[in-house]
Amino acid sequence: MGKRFTRRDLLVASAGATAGLATGLAVPHVVIAQSDQWGDLVGRLVYDGNPPERKKLKVDKDVDCCGKFDIRDESLMVGPDHGLANVFVYLRSRKVQIAPELAESAPKQVVLDNRDCIFKPHCMAIWYPQQEYAIINSDPIAQNVAFSPLGDTPANIILAPIKEGQDDPNTRATWRFNRAQIVPVPIACNYHPWESAFVLPRDNPYVAITAMDGTFRIAKLPVGTWEFQAWQERVGYLDLPQWPKGRFEVAIRPGVNDLGTIRVPAARFERK
Amino acid sequence: MAAGRCRRPFGPGQAGYRAFGHLAALALGSLCLAGCVAYQPPQFELNLEGRPKGSVSREQAEAITKMLERLFGTPDQPRVPEGSGLDAELLAMAAGPPTGDPQGGVRGLFRRHCATCHGISGDGAGPTALVLDPSPRDFRRGIFKYTSTKAGIKPLKSDLRRTLLRGVPGTAMPSFAQLAPRELDALVEYVKYLSIRGETELYLLEQVVDEEVRLPLDKDMVLDEGVLPVARAWDAPEQDPGLRIEPGPRPPIDTPQQLADSIAKGRALYASKEAQCVKCHGPNGDGKGEEEELYDDWNKPKKGVTPQQTAELARRFKLPLQRLRPRDFRQGTFRGGIGPQGRYLYDRIYAGIKGTPMPGLGPGPGSKAVIPPEDIWHIVDYVLSLSRKNP
Repeated sequence: MGKRFTRRDLLVASAGATAGLATGLAVPHVVIAQSDQWGDLVGRLVYDGNPPERKKLKVDKDVDCCGKFDIRDESLMVGPDHGLANVFVYLRSRKVQIAPELAESAPKQVVLDNRDCIFKPHCMAIWYPQQEYAIINSDPIAQNVAFSPLGDTPANIILAPIKEGQDDPNTRATWRFNRAQIVPVPIACNYHPWESAFVLPRDNPYVAITAMDGTFRIAKLPVGTWEFQAWQERVGYLDLPQWPKGRFEVAIRPGVNDLGTIRVPAARFERK
Repeated sequence: MAAGRCRRPFGPGQAGYRAFGHLAALALGSLCLAGCVAYQPPQFELNLEGRPKGSVSREQAEAITKMLERLFGTPDQPRVPEGSGLDAELLAMAAGPPTGDPQGGVRGLFRRHCATCHGISGDGAGPTALVLDPSPRDFRRGIFKYTSTKAGIKPLKSDLRRTLLRGVPGTAMPSFAQLAPRELDALVEYVKYLSIRGETELYLLEQVVDEEVRLPLDKDMVLDEGVLPVARAWDAPEQDPGLRIEPGPRPPIDTPQQLADSIAKGRALYASKEAQCVKCHGPNGDGKGEEEELYDDWNKPKKGVTPQQTAELARRFKLPLQRLRPRDFRQGTFRGGIGPQGRYLYDRIYAGIKGTPMPGLGPGPGSKAVIPPEDIWHIVDYVLSLSRKNP
């Protein structure tokens, strides 16, 4: 925390820190007051080992519709060049200033689609005060979407099947989250046990999900030293020697802040 | 067994209790002959279920239990957190030892009637819980199955009262219809109290253990972020009729022909692609659908991906993993009751059963009706026809 600050950071931080302490906010990290300088955090997570084979999942319900798809385990996604995908990397520090243009550029909705008998996408982040969660069904069978975020309204929604050539309004639900979660919320379908997805509602837009090449970018962070969290569905907190509990600090400077390549040993993901 | 495991090291206000204990022992000692045991006030137990041993440090456990005690008091002396809307007088009737008070006032109702199964802390793991299937309700998650509110919405207090009056057929939960109306109110209030306390505890575990917020905890933060959102969620359906189920008009079933028509429509809807009742309850309504691995929200955390994982996870809980069995309608036992004209059954088909995989067909917050609400009555009639019960 403080020890990693440069003298300049401390000067910038002091006003906000005092404000944060005075209001009794139990922030893990120092609050920075006004900033008109922003920086991006980028990096690449690499799976250190041979890309694992993705197990074919048992598809034994609605086989007429779902049996024709090659449905495989998505709990560990590694790209052809060993990129580690679907890792949530997000700002852990609370009460940060948010770059104003992010509110304008953020899409108004995050969409969870039921398509080809799986959830698409598999991992989502939602800036809940700004974005609503559109849950749709594109399959000719009924789908169910169920999740129970801590301290927030639980969902257990039926989405009617789509009818041919018809945009059925029953196949859409519009959900609103009311609270940030500290780890992604699992989503299940009670009809099709193989279906799985994760959504992370946060009160800020500083969340990235690694792409198939393992890269991520958290855009327009306020300048300052912040703590970040890395989380992957199979292991939870992505605990690494340099990232205890999947947590790490970065002093964000204006422009691009590159973490470089972070290698994650394959042994980390072995199932007992 | 496990009930006592965490109590001693993590007990709230240990020093205070010890002092109280000494005083009580002195006072009683002067009155009692040999064999008399000093009264040990019970304590709420910290909710460690689902967390591996050693994942909560002593400092964290103390911070959580102290804050909970500051806000909610103890099983003998409950406190009402500011803004929670709880009724202190009713809580006092339900709290305390089951022996009542010397002035003849009503005290200790919860321990007299409920704690044997539901536990002092409302964790559903009282002394008899281990031999019960289904397990008694754990109130600490704030989820209740039999409600007249829409999907995801907290129950009305009158819903909890109804469960107390009717009991839960097919389970060990009896009817408490013999209690006085005010005693029922007291128990409902106390269940709500344990539930708000339980959800605040989950919030504290999240903040203190997972998020590692700086200690000591700030009481106002815990009130604002932990207690009040839960209290507001309880208040919402009491205030806003839009959060309660509004049944569609009941189709007439006055003549045998009308009833037969309704049942026939219900049978078709039951098997329809939209309603999908057959998936769990089976084409014959015997509860043998294609879904075999079903668990409710209380049991899901005990289920891992591999059998080894499941064994490891289940060990962290006091009660064993129980699989959910979709209801066999032919038996005619309905845990949530049938209700006047089948209304209670209607509500469960409309809003689903909270905490279980059963989704609702009616509109919910953010989601639209899958079939028109008036048609749900046909499914009620069909389901009741399977056990030859009339609505």
